[in-house]
Amino acid sequence: MTGAVRAEGAPTGPGRGAGTPLDGVRVVELVDESAEYCGRMLAGLGADVVKVEPPDGAPSRRQGPFLDDVPGPDRSLAFWADNVGKRSVVVPEGPDGDGAVRALVEAADVLVHTLRPDAAARRGLDYERLGPALPRLVVCAVTPFGQSGPWADFEADDLVLMALGGSMAACGYGPGPDGYDTPPLAAHGEQAWRTASTYAAIAVLAALWWRDVGEEGRGQFVDVSAHECSASMTEWHCMTYLCSGSVFRRGAHPTLTAADGRQVAALNPDFLGPHVFANMLAMLEDEGVAGPLSDPAFADPGYRAGHYGEVWRAMKRLAAANDGERLYRLGQGAGLPWGVIRSPEEVAGDTHLQARGHFVELDHPELGRTVRYPGAPFLAHGSPWRMDRRPPLLGEHTAQVAGEWGVTW
Amino acid sequence: MSENTLSSRPVDRQGEAPSPAAGAPMALAGVRILDFTRLGFGAQATLICGCLGAEVIRVESTTRPDPIRVMPPYVPEPGSHGEGFGAATLANATSAASPNRGGIFYKYNTGGKRSITVDARHPKGLALLRDLVSVSDVVTESFAAGTLERWGLGYPEQVKARPDVLYVSMCGFGHEGPDTAHVTMGPTAQALTGLTFMVGLPDRPPAGWSFSYLDHVGGYLGAVAVLAGLAHRARTGEGQHIDVSQLEPATALSGALFFDALVNGRPSRRPGFPTGNRRPASAPGGAYRAAGEDRWVVISCRTDDQWRSLLTVMGDPPWGADPRFSTFGARQQHAEELDVLIEQWTSQGDRYETMDALQRAGVPAGAVQDAADRLERDPQLAARRHFTMLGNDEVAPLPLEGMPVHMAGTPVHTGGRLHRGPPVLGQDTDAVLTELLGMKPSEVEALRAEGVLS
Repeated sequence: MTGAVRAEGAPTGPGRGAGTPLDGVRVVELVDESAEYCGRMLAGLGADVVKVEPPDGAPSRRQGPFLDDVPGPDRSLAFWADNVGKRSVVVPEGPDGDGAVRALVEAADVLVHTLRPDAAARRGLDYERLGPALPRLVVCAVTPFGQSGPWADFEADDLVLMALGGSMAACGYGPGPDGYDTPPLAAHGEQAWRTASTYAAIAVLAALWWRDVGEEGRGQFVDVSAHECSASMTEWHCMTYLCSGSVFRRGAHPTLTAADGRQVAALNPDFLGPHVFANMLAMLEDEGVAGPLSDPAFADPGYRAGHYGEVWRAMKRLAAANDGERLYRLGQGAGLPWGVIRSPEEVAGDTHLQARGHFVELDHPELGRTVRYPGAPFLAHGSPWRMDRRPPLLGEHTAQVAGEWGVTW
Repeated sequence: MSENTLSSRPVDRQGEAPSPAAGAPMALAGVRILDFTRLGFGAQATLICGCLGAEVIRVESTTRPDPIRVMPPYVPEPGSHGEGFGAATLANATSAASPNRGGIFYKYNTGGKRSITVDARHPKGLALLRDLVSVSDVVTESFAAGTLERWGLGYPEQVKARPDVLYVSMCGFGHEGPDTAHVTMGPTAQALTGLTFMVGLPDRPPAGWSFSYLDHVGGYLGAVAVLAGLAHRARTGEGQHIDVSQLEPATALSGALFFDALVNGRPSRRPGFPTGNRRPASAPGGAYRAAGEDRWVVISCRTDDQWRSLLTVMGDPPWGADPRFSTFGARQQHAEELDVLIEQWTSQGDRYETMDALQRAGVPAGAVQDAADRLERDPQLAARRHFTMLGNDEVAPLPLEGMPVHMAGTPVHTGGRLHRGPPVLGQDTDAVLTELLGMKPSEVEALRAEGVLS
């Protein structure tokens, strides 16, 4: 049924999505703030992502900060961040709305939602009902704890997920003389939600591959637990516990403070080989701050480890004589993985990313201005990232989508 | 449930290796990836592909092993750990002598990856690798830009071997642009892209992440690149080179902060920011001390209902009716005073008991869990079979992580299509060369004698 609609229905627009991996793939998105990043990614890959919203808009439209600090459904910057590239359809609340959603889903390839099992059943969107009727449909449910398990009915926002997942326990400042005097810290930017959304996008891609290229041609149900995704992102911490019995405790990485007050993450990865120190020493000598490090004894890793204070003091002398961006480039010039700590928006000034064409100016005609967006997450010249549509106004595409998808309600 | 009770009854993992539905298909069955990735960033991408059922063949070197194969922490000798994994000790530090004991390797190389060893600098080794490209759908690597070209295995050479090859490179700064020679590790990319900046208390230097979050995120986007490139090839018959860096996957992770600065002119680098655990959508919200040493519980009330439920669970303290806390906005404004009052309550209780009591009342709350908690106390991860017991010829089964998503029609498996643990270095060399290239065992032996398979 869905396949037939897609094959015979109107195109998604003149030339839109052409050459993208998901050209012609229709996605219905019925999500809260926790999974909007998934649809953003699928839209970038060329899918026609239709965001289904109630008359007063998705919750993220009420989330600040707002454009010029003036609230309004089309002014939420949180909404802009995660809804660029989608279309918006408003459906009424209640049974009429559920019927509309069902009609849209029948014309779609993918449904991404954030409904708990009982809520999905109430709206007629449980897979038990959708699956048999729409065998080609991929349904992806992103929920805090997944469809099963003792915590399945628990509530969690991103902060709670960062706590339970383990990254929070590992982030923050180190202990003071009387133990830890500051709490574990969660990163801003809703990283647990973004991780879950990214895994959801990966699973949808895999499910579409299986449906379209695999042997069965069938859709399926995908169960994404944001908690499990959040619990998977702490690199070596579980292995450290399994191997040593000790638990990693939080503490900030040492950073260098440059002459302009900027911090630089100055990693000194001796474990990569003797060339690392040799390269750094040559650079420190060029800059006239090597001091005692020129003593050949420092070439011995054991000696160096026992006198690491001298190494660090030389690095601090270098930092005091340079501003942050130059310090970063001095380190990199010596082959060291140093990086100046930038604020999120300062990355927009990165000349390397600019040369790769990463940032994209999108027209917001109703505002009479353009806005710069972070663009493609990778360079795929054969199938470019689609980044040509600003986030949708509330209900902007209701009639358009109904017409193009041949759906009425 | 008190922590003591829980830790005295560690999660039972006997017989827990999830058995995927017998004969169930895997989503990427039939996809073959020739995988030159190392360390975390690239290996995370092929881990995901392997868990989805792709055949991932790691091309490795005995003389230049993947650093995470030989770095601490080391996986214990079989039998050297006692009750539960936490009882293992560091006594086996000599394990560096083996390329199969580096603990971090076991984080990033589930997915049933195979391992072959080939000396790419030997002309016959290079010829073998080109032959393997000709029978692979995808080539992945995470070397510095230009490395494969120097070997004679850059994208143009791959195309000669396989015209529709999908080549996904994963390299800190990517293969295009002025700074491609820059080197990154996770913390480098996190510093440059604003991630480090976003973890910290007001008016202090950023605390940053103590692990390489962007190794994961970069790897996720590497997996997206593989899947997108395969979809494109299925539609057009065309391969391509997809250039994944560790920077671009991070730029959208700051959400609204980026736009607040660029559109509203409100820089993130301002007094009072970042705001620790305070967020615009929670009041109260944050990590609160619990009973025990450095134990914490997170509470995050996003609605008035949740706030009222919190007060009820706390026994309706008299200050609950204080006008300072009467609205969401007022609670945000007086967050500091409110946090002190809440912490007086949380600090008396066990973090899991507080979490359970609040959750039963509909209040978002969670214990701040570390790795031991996730492995031994978290009943949800246990019920979802988040960890899978997998070992190899040298290492006893360990509870390992894979792709944490459940696909009903094509089950994901941490052991990949082979349902097995991360590979011993070179364990599949003979099998791969005979199965895929049709070589005779005697031919393989001859190559080995010549040092080609090292």
